[in-house]
Amino acid sequence: MKILLYSSLVLLLVPLHTTILPHVSILGVSPDAGLVVAALVGLIGGEVEGFAVGVAIGWLLNMYSAGDLWLSLVINGGAGLLAGIMGRQVAQVTPTVLSLGLLTLSLIGGLVAVFSMKSLEISDSWWMVQSVVLPQACYDAALGAGLFWLVTQRIMLGRLRPLDRLYSYRDHP
Amino acid sequence: MWMVNLRAPYSARRLALGAFALLLAALFLFPAQSQGLLQFLDGPVGEVVSLPLQAVAALDQGVAALWERYIALQGLQEENDRLRQDIEWLRGQNSQLREAASATERLTALLQFKEQALPIMVAAQVIGRDSTNRYRSVILNKGESDGIKPDMGVITPAGVVGRVVKTTGATAVVLLITDPNNAIAGLIQRTRDEGIVEGTRQGSARLKYIPLLSRVRDGDRVVTSGLVGGFPRGLAIGTITTIGKEEGALFQTAELTPEVDVGRLEEVLIIQHPYGASAESAEKREASGKSKP
Repeated sequence: MKILLYSSLVLLLVPLHTTILPHVSILGVSPDAGLVVAALVGLIGGEVEGFAVGVAIGWLLNMYSAGDLWLSLVINGGAGLLAGIMGRQVAQVTPTVLSLGLLTLSLIGGLVAVFSMKSLEISDSWWMVQSVVLPQACYDAALGAGLFWLVTQRIMLGRLRPLDRLYSYRDHP
Repeated sequence: MWMVNLRAPYSARRLALGAFALLLAALFLFPAQSQGLLQFLDGPVGEVVSLPLQAVAALDQGVAALWERYIALQGLQEENDRLRQDIEWLRGQNSQLREAASATERLTALLQFKEQALPIMVAAQVIGRDSTNRYRSVILNKGESDGIKPDMGVITPAGVVGRVVKTTGATAVVLLITDPNNAIAGLIQRTRDEGIVEGTRQGSARLKYIPLLSRVRDGDRVVTSGLVGGFPRGLAIGTITTIGKEEGALFQTAELTPEVDVGRLEEVLIIQHPYGASAESAEKREASGKSKP
């Protein structure tokens, strides 16, 4: 069941990234939903699941990008793994903590990607850092925090469901 | 606030870290083999992934068409008037060009030049954009199964779009002419000086390595030189807007406005063979359904 869920998630990320996200881009920058999803899966499911889903996301998204394969695999796989480890080290994960973690991860990934582009001059690299890497990291952090809040709300609602039933039974026996 | 999941055993972390180390080792110690394996799997996996991608792209195009045809009609009258004026001007230019073409044909026959071969092309639809923000590329709905290979040139009737850099079974990624990582051999149509066209960070293009003594000027058109890459000679790339001459530099550099608006691409033509066939065989292919420039 979990494999099916993760497979569907990874498959849906490709059209989301290539077709839908360009419509919500701000100044030509859209969030890296793959990185955010890999980190969330790592946080909720643990290191192994985060790493596996991250590598799968990195591989599939790289098929639809002009970028290097190794970079995509390492960044997304590493994000899932680190989020899994962070999930065990940090006692209470809040949207703020997650957004800070995602901001850092996205910044590191973006910087590695930009400075590994051989054809760019130094001025072009710094321009990319300012106009692509930094805004994208902020965007990723905001998206991650929002998604995490939604997911945790769902989990809390799930926990509260028996109580809701109890109250509704008391009101309308 | 959410309490974290502490249930997973400690060995899970070791397993994940071991797998990550293995991935790093495979990618850095055996880059060709590991990437070759994944690229081998790209074909069949790409066929599966292209199904939801093409479905969402079709939906997206349907919504965009609905919006453009029935809702966003502001300024349509002005645009129509401008286009009518353009048609009038182009009609005049077309008749002059017909005259020039017939003169060229006569002279070619007189000088017994070898017949110019026409490129073989395949039409494709744009179904998406690059999955990262770091590259300017588009995704096409034709791939390896349609005979598309990396380094093939991609154009529209207006001019050069870019070149194929990656393929899966059913899709291809095209690096646009406006990407700084792209380089295409160009030729200034008036002066016949050659250079290299590269993308810029602002989303336009520039022609580099123009000889210092070249008499290039603003408004000159740049076309493909046909010497290297997947393009035949003479395809429009862009128009020169500004020329930069730095003191002590050995070459000039010119900023270009690309002929094709790469932000609004919908259909493109992929050049499979730049000098693939003679005009006669191209006509035969056209009769059997393939496109012609």
